[in-house]
Parts: sequence; structure tokens; C-alpha cells
Amino acid sequence: MSVGTTTGGSMVSLQGVCKRFGHLEVLRGVDLEIKRGEVVCVLGPSGSGKSTLLRCVNLLEPPEEGDIHLEERSICKGSGSGEQGWELDFVRQRVGIVFQQFNLFPHKSALENVTLAQEKVLGRPGAEARQKGTELLQRVGLGDKLDEYPERLSGGQQQRVAIARALAMDPHVMLFDEVTSALDPELVKEVLDVMRELAEEGMTMICVTHEIGFAREVADRVVFMDEGLVVEEGPPSQVIDNPRQERTKKFLGLVLER
Amino acid sequence: MQELINQYFDVDFMVDHFDEVLEGFWFTIQLSVVSGVLALIWGLILAQLRQIPGKAALPVRFATIAYIDVFRGVPLLIMILLISGSVPLLDFLPEWLRLPQWFGKPDNFWFGVFAITITYGAYMAEVYRSGIESVPRGQMEAARSLGMSHRQAMRFVIVPQAVRKVFAPLLNDFIALMKDTTLVSAIALSEVALVGRDLQSQFLNSSGLILGAIMFLVVTLPLARLVDRLIAREQGRFTRGAPRVEAL
Repeated sequence: MSVGTTTGGSMVSLQGVCKRFGHLEVLRGVDLEIKRGEVVCVLGPSGSGKSTLLRCVNLLEPPEEGDIHLEERSICKGSGSGEQGWELDFVRQRVGIVFQQFNLFPHKSALENVTLAQEKVLGRPGAEARQKGTELLQRVGLGDKLDEYPERLSGGQQQRVAIARALAMDPHVMLFDEVTSALDPELVKEVLDVMRELAEEGMTMICVTHEIGFAREVADRVVFMDEGLVVEEGPPSQVIDNPRQERTKKFLGLVLER
Repeated sequence: MQELINQYFDVDFMVDHFDEVLEGFWFTIQLSVVSGVLALIWGLILAQLRQIPGKAALPVRFATIAYIDVFRGVPLLIMILLISGSVPLLDFLPEWLRLPQWFGKPDNFWFGVFAITITYGAYMAEVYRSGIESVPRGQMEAARSLGMSHRQAMRFVIVPQAVRKVFAPLLNDFIALMKDTTLVSAIALSEVALVGRDLQSQFLNSSGLILGAIMFLVVTLPLARLVDRLIAREQGRFTRGAPRVEAL
């Protein structure tokens, strides 16, 4: 086992990552480097492979080719060799993900959603898990909703519970997969505010998003993807405001027109 | 009119033969509960065998699917006749299995139980499966992404949601099972249908069968209402807050 020293501060590193679904090549050799504490926003048209990229990083969709390093440790050695090569436990202790559809557990209250994995996976005693869960829910502004079930919460509230649930596992990286796309427009801000705060606290974040304003304001780096490849990457001032590639210009033109 | 009443609803006849019919119905209840419980367990086992992930388990999955397809398609009566008429002839089987007399019940009782369990296990396996599959994929992904193993995710996240959804349909299957236990009358097991049939041929009066039917209704009607309420509650879970149209 290689020791994950923090030299250079690489948090996630992708080399030549490929992913196919049947004959559909979703990722066609993606190289990407994310440093500790960095906030990276991934933009691109639908079907460009952004979500798949995120799901590769936490091995929900293990890549077929290429390698991914998390804290400088290879997490899918010998891709295609099957589960033996995947560092599932290592990855999932360090990577939190928030989904577009929230995916809260509907049979559990908000607090139970946040404590379940703490108890079952990390083995935290109930009282400690509840305390941590309560703090996190307060932090995302839901201190008064601890005992509510997801069906009684708005989309924005559910998504904030989902963020708290992921944070409860003390992740080193947070992945956000279009987390505001399923929300009514007036609920988007409350979720983005939580993410903004998280970024300010120094969390390493990879956000697949269509919120150009958020990307411009919060991201250290913006990555534009199309057809399974990284087309352009750089600071927001460059990629969003002065894109070099035709495809980036075209996409941003369409998005910013709205 | 009087003739109809005498044939079907002869109260004196019913009173005279109440004990016999009730005894037969008690047998029906025993048969239903024993095979119902066994079918519930067997169905859950089949459903899980069918869900084992991985390439190595492919033959198991295939065999399970074949089993379920076959026994859902074969009439229960044929299974009853097949088992009761063949198992006692299989000399290589030990006697306790060839001629089971467990708990003081005759071998035909157990052959009926086997046939019903084999058949209804296949039905119930499908109900369990539909329950597990109706839980959205994202639930498993969320649980796994939080570090839970497949087994933990099933136990704490998927199955608790699935069970709520399948409780009503399983109860429905149980009602059907209970009614189908009358088929064991074909192997001379004196459950309620056979008792009624014997009374009918002896006295040329169908009131005994009607009495048996009434006894069934006493049990099945409340169960059917319960199923309806459970289904309504289950649907209500996801439409709470929306105005609900009350049934009359």
C-alpha cells in the first residue's frame, strides 16, 4: 500500500479514463488533476460525460481504461480486472457525493438519514452520530427539521439534508452531480449558498453544474467537457468569459442566452 | 323459491351439520397457515437467489428463474396429484419423507402443503422481487456511496422500503392460497370443500357447501378490506397533503 503523502497536494487525478456503456463511448480518455482544497466546476452539454466522470471518481461506474488516483493512491488498479482491483472502502470513506435526485432514504427522518451510515459504516455510537448529525443539519439551516421525513421537506431542504448526510462521513472530497437541476428556481439559491460556504471552508469539490454564475464566482477552475473529452480548462475568467475553443463558445452562448 | 332456499340456505341443515363443516374448515385453516408461512419463506429465499449479483451466480439465477416460471405455469391441482400419488412410491426416500406423519397430521396433509408451498413460493418470489425492484436505483447508489456494503444497503435501506410495498400483495396471494387449499379435496383430505361435497351427495342439499363458503368469507372479507386499506395507505404516503377522494 502506497502512503498517501500530501506532496504536491493532489487530491484526485484521472489519467486516460475511458468508459463505455455498450457501444456508447461516454468517456474517451479524460485526464484531470484536482488539488487539495480546489473547487472545480465541470460544464458541458448533456451527454458529454460529466456525470459519468463524477461517478467514476467514487467507483459507482468504474472506468474500463485508465487510472484514477485518490490522494495519490490508485483506486482502480488494472481496470477491467473486476472488483478485486477497486479500492471501494478507501474511496467511499473519502469521497462524498450528492445526487441530482437527492436520493434521501424515505423511510428515515432527516436526522436518521444523516446518522445511519455513521453508525453502520463508521461504527459511531448513536449519541455521537446524532450530535454530529444535529450540528450538520443546523449548519445547513435545518436545525428545526431533524425529525421530519423527506416527503415533508421541499426539494431544496431535501438536497441540504443530502449534503449533510454526505458531510457526516467526513469526506475529503465532495462530488456534486447537478444538485440544483431538479429544484424549483427559487430553491436553487439555498443549496448553492451551502455549497459556497463549504468551498470557503476549504473543502475539495468537484461540481457538475449548469449554474454558470456559481461556477464563475466559486470555482477555482472550470472544466468544459464535450463528447467524453475535456475540451478546455482554466480559471473561470478564461473558460467562461474568454473561451478559446469553438465548442465552448457555442455552448456558453446557448446557456447564457437564456 | 322455497325450493331454492331449501337447496342452498337450509338453516336447520346448516345448524345440524355446523360442527362437521367447522371441523373441515379448521383443517382448511391449518393447511392455509402452514403452507402460507412456508410459501412466504420459500418465496423470499427464491427472490434472494434470483438477486445474487455476479457472474459466478449465473447458474443459480437461471435455475431460480426457470423454477419460478415453471411452477407459476403448472396448475396446483396437477402438483397435488403428482406429489401425493408419486412420493409414497419412491422407495429410495426415507420413510419419514415418503409417508410424512409430522405433528399427527396425515401424509396427504403434508403432500398438500408441499404442493401449495412449491407453487405459491413461486408466486410470492415474484411479489418480493417486484418490491425490491420498485425501490429506485438511486437508493442503492446513495447507500453504497456512503460506504455501506451491498448487504448493509439491502438490510437497512432497500428491504425495509420493499417490505412496506409488498405487504398488501403478499396478503392478496395468501387469500388466493387459502381458497386454493380446497383443491386438496381431490386427494381425499377432509377439508371444508370435501365435507360439503359429501353432505351434498349424501343429502342432496348444498347448504353445507354454502356454509363452508360463508366460513371462507368470514375470514377472507376482512383480509380483503385490510389489503385495500394497506394499499390506500401506501399510496397515501406519496400523495400526502394532496386532497384525497374518500371512498364511499
